[in-house]
Amino acid sequence: MKKRRQKLNLNRRNFLSGTATLAGLAATASVVPINISNANHKDGSKGLPDFISWKDRNALIVHSDKGIETHRSAIGESLITPNRNVYIRNNMPTMSDKQIGDRNNWKVSIQGVKNPKTFTLAQLKKMGHTTMATILQCSGNGRGFFEHKVRGSQWKTGAAACVLWTGVPLMKVVDACGGIDGSAVFMTSAGVDHEPTGLDPKKAMVERSVPKKVYKDAMLAWEMNGVPLPNAHGGPLRMVTPGYFGINNVKHLGKVAFTTKESSVKYMKSSYRISPIGKKGSQYPSCWEMPVKSWITRPTDETGTVKAGKVQIVGVAMGGTRKVRSVKVSVDGGKSWKRARFVGPDLGKYAWRQFVLETTLTSGTYNIASLASNGSDKQPELRMENRRGYAHNGWKDHSVNITVV
Amino acid sequence: MKISKFLLILFFIFSANIQKSFSDDDKMIKGLEIFNEIAGCAGCHILKAAGSEGNVGPNLDTVSLTEDSVKEMVTYGLGVMPAYGEENILTKEQIDIVSFYVANTAGK
Ligand code: HEC
Repeated sequence: MKKRRQKLNLNRRNFLSGTATLAGLAATASVVPINISNANHKDGSKGLPDFISWKDRNALIVHSDKGIETHRSAIGESLITPNRNVYIRNNMPTMSDKQIGDRNNWKVSIQGVKNPKTFTLAQLKKMGHTTMATILQCSGNGRGFFEHKVRGSQWKTGAAACVLWTGVPLMKVVDACGGIDGSAVFMTSAGVDHEPTGLDPKKAMVERSVPKKVYKDAMLAWEMNGVPLPNAHGGPLRMVTPGYFGINNVKHLGKVAFTTKESSVKYMKSSYRISPIGKKGSQYPSCWEMPVKSWITRPTDETGTVKAGKVQIVGVAMGGTRKVRSVKVSVDGGKSWKRARFVGPDLGKYAWRQFVLETTLTSGTYNIASLASNGSDKQPELRMENRRGYAHNGWKDHSVNITVV
Repeated sequence: MKISKFLLILFFIFSANIQKSFSDDDKMIKGLEIFNEIAGCAGCHILKAAGSEGNVGPNLDTVSLTEDSVKEMVTYGLGVMPAYGEENILTKEQIDIVSFYVANTAGK
């Protein structure tokens, strides 16, 4: 079979300079009337795309240039996940410096309040200041354990990170606008990262509604782990919805609105719905609160065989929207459990805790599992089967097999 | 009599096959056209072999694919990617062809 490389009607120069629309390219397919305005996607020397060439390649599993996972053992053993190890999951391309322009002049409009206003980042910085640790976790983290064919990145444990955000509490911003207006039920946040693509906002805009109550703990963040929020993580301004799945933490934030209805864009209405296999629709729950979950980060099959004797079994545990209360560890596939010890500082209910169980293992093979509880819920043994492979917190799939010699 | 009947059946099977299936070379040409022009995959995806520079979805040269996984994705879509099959944007035959094309060019 001969390979064909010729291009059909593709005006590459216009394409790259961003002046061509796809109208010509996809004339017969009015499906995609988009223009190409940035080309920040080429492979760098390290096998990472240019827009995140600053990340640590060795810490990462590259599913695609838009789906990059942290190795189980690289999530950080000092509570916080370093930026260079944090996963990437992009629904829209990361905005470039050029598209963003002067960061202090970045604008966000606040609507559904008594006095709707637009603030620049510089203005927000004067309105309030706080730092908070939360867990960023992709709704599909753990999808790689599902056995039915699920489209999308096959994340195991590494589409998650514990991050320190700095920014302004959303409450302060709402107060500055005279409070929430009327009978809002949802807080709806929208990004502007679809704008450079020229795609239809109904299909491409990342606009996410969450229950209104979330605004009390939410913040607008401009710093991540001590540095200005990287573009790749939604800089210069990102919505942080503590305890809620990653998608609700809208990147490149342009609007926050208090609304009576959920957004009608595709990313709210049909994507990110947790439905039975073979079913779909907006009647099913959206990916909102994260469930209680834990997993072991050392030793793992990634770290190789383990020497017999004293072993530290280390991992992370999260309570979702409640504080994580306890973690148990099993070295025999769940037949017996021992309570692990939390270590390191407690950064609040929205951060994860690290845990350790010190034990002695003789040579042989072991299945090591962890089981977290937040007082009212604990991890189930098995995953909740669902069409898109969301919200997996079953302990069995997350266990690791190790060999002790 | 029997033999001619057999030959006749054989002829029908053979000609039906010719009409139905494109040669691999034809599929590569047609697949490129669907990718770049008819379906506009090029607008959202990099694929070196097609010379495309789209940056909305993953760079198809960086992912591991099978013909079946492409077919699934094109049929049902995901996120902003249209469900070309479910929404009848492409015919089943076009989906087969473009999937064959992508699976045989991505990363090469
Ligand atoms: C409007 C933009 C858009 C168009 C047009 C489009 N795609 Fe996609 N495609 C995407 C996005 C975005 C994803 C990633 C979806 C996700 O993971 O949420 C994707 C994912 C894929 C994947 C899976 C990649 C992986 O990570 O394994 C394949 C294969 C693919 N597309 C092929 C095609 C083909 C072939 C066409 C044309 C028939 C096409 N796409 C048209 C946006 C698009």
